[in-house]
Amino acid sequence: MAEVLGVLATPGKAAAAVGSLKQAGFSDLEVYSPVPSHEIEEAVGKGPSRVRLWTLIGGLTGVTSGYLMTIWMAYDWPLVIGGKPFASIPAYTIIAFELTILFGGVLTVLGMITHGLIVGAKRPTAYRPSFTRDEFGCLVRCHSDQISRVQELLRDAGSMEVRVVEG
Amino acid sequence: MAAVTEPISASAEEINDEILRVLNPPSRLYVVGVLALMGLVGAGMAALAYQTYAGFGVTGLNHPVMWGVYITCFVFWVGIAHAGTLISAILFLFRAKWRNAINRGAEAMTVMAVITAALFPLIHIGRLWKFYFMLPYPNQRGLWVNFKSPLIWDVFAVNTYMTISILFLFVGLIPDIAAARDRCTDWRRHLYNILALGWHGTTEQWRHHARAVLHLSGLATPLVLSVHSVVSWDFAMALVPGWHTTIFAPYFVAGAIFSGMAMVITIMVPVRKAFGLEKLIRAEHFDNMGKFIVLTSSIVAYAYAVEFFMAWYSANPFEQGSFWHRAFGDYWWATWIMITCNVVIPLPLWIKKVRLNVVAMWVISIFINIGMWFERFVIITTGLSHEYNPAAWGYYTPSWVELTILAASFAWFGMWFLIFLRMLPIVSISEVKELHYEGQEGGAH
Repeated sequence: MAEVLGVLATPGKAAAAVGSLKQAGFSDLEVYSPVPSHEIEEAVGKGPSRVRLWTLIGGLTGVTSGYLMTIWMAYDWPLVIGGKPFASIPAYTIIAFELTILFGGVLTVLGMITHGLIVGAKRPTAYRPSFTRDEFGCLVRCHSDQISRVQELLRDAGSMEVRVVEG
Repeated sequence: MAAVTEPISASAEEINDEILRVLNPPSRLYVVGVLALMGLVGAGMAALAYQTYAGFGVTGLNHPVMWGVYITCFVFWVGIAHAGTLISAILFLFRAKWRNAINRGAEAMTVMAVITAALFPLIHIGRLWKFYFMLPYPNQRGLWVNFKSPLIWDVFAVNTYMTISILFLFVGLIPDIAAARDRCTDWRRHLYNILALGWHGTTEQWRHHARAVLHLSGLATPLVLSVHSVVSWDFAMALVPGWHTTIFAPYFVAGAIFSGMAMVITIMVPVRKAFGLEKLIRAEHFDNMGKFIVLTSSIVAYAYAVEFFMAWYSANPFEQGSFWHRAFGDYWWATWIMITCNVVIPLPLWIKKVRLNVVAMWVISIFINIGMWFERFVIITTGLSHEYNPAAWGYYTPSWVELTILAASFAWFGMWFLIFLRMLPIVSISEVKELHYEGQEGGAH
């Protein structure tokens, strides 16, 4: 296996490079980008992020625990006020609402970290500091006999530089 | 809201380096500034220690005005926080791209303001060491907190707001921390390496990051509206004349955004000037923030007027007495400072030329800050000092302890903001670069 890196100047070019590589059958690739880009994301084509499931679970946990906590505590020390029910749902809705947001937000961030972030992760071999500045990297994994084909595709897509990282 | 029409003229490289230049070793003036603020914070801590030792008698708080400068500061600082969330979350959802250059500064301001606000309920408790009484924790008395009380709603609302705004700020910062890590050569490199959480800008990371930002915005939007509503219910749920009205929630939310926008301008004008960020934070940004100020100032002005109308129209003598007292009673000066600063002084902002004049915007924003502090002071003290029974009317004068802590709160806010400024990028690098590439490629979004 070999890794070929193409360095590109804009998100549009990076997306186009990904498109032509995928068309030629090279789908094991990684794009490094200094900016979020819908074009690149669509070209790589992974579908919606699973973070949304984390938010949903967090929100549902929050709303449930908010109501359960307040209602349970109201019945644990019951106070009769004007003969009304012990649990006051409208007031507790505020607590449930706040906990929905709190748990939803915390789990969203945990989800984001779980999917793809590792604290103090080692820098990938192909990575360059300029990929957080003004350059886009398109890294393709391929068989060693396909290197020249990938290099050609990357060059055609407008890479400023093409380099074999491993292999 | 008008979009920023001109594309950013700088290249991606220039944007990156210009923003990161702010993190260069600080000048002597900066160090002196931080030390001076630390000194003032120290004075505030000494005053708090004295108050804690001697008891609450050292404040001006006494019957009938049991809420004063501390609660005023609490509401003021929570309000300041709101503009940051408005800019970062609500404008994000509305795809108002001009926010990209100012959202980081506003978000940072939000976090600093909330951590300032969160101190005041603790200071106001008096017996600081009993703070955990506000939380529902299992105890030997088998007693839980009263969830029907707006004060407990506030504990939940403000803590949630603090947590979410810190997370929001941090999530937005991750790609920029990585950019700082890749350019930094001193000891901070290790710090950035940890804080960047292994960010390398891969598509997979951006995909989850974008989703997280979207969801956090979606969560923060109702949150920001709820927080100041809950704060307003601290007052509106009580039966005090001048407090017990249904307009309080929207009135407070509008006031919060009004004061917060003013604070963003107050702090971003000097930052922009000191670090030469004129290319990125441009007159159009001030123009747009000025429009927000015009809108919210109008809402606040309407609320002031309608409060008086409701007092008159209700034919309720207590309500009428309270509002007569507000305008012409002991606190007439505070009320007229409030009206002058919040309604009259922002009027020139209806003119575009004024909104594009950064110096004028800065001066007006400072008056708004003063006016909005007085708004909360007026609501709290005039309400409490003039309730139902004439025998229980009173006048409240803050003591030096309260005024020292008030001054220290501004220093505390400023100190953290200055420290943030030198440690983390004050303008969102990735989002401004996103604008740059969009401008270059003709807005592919």
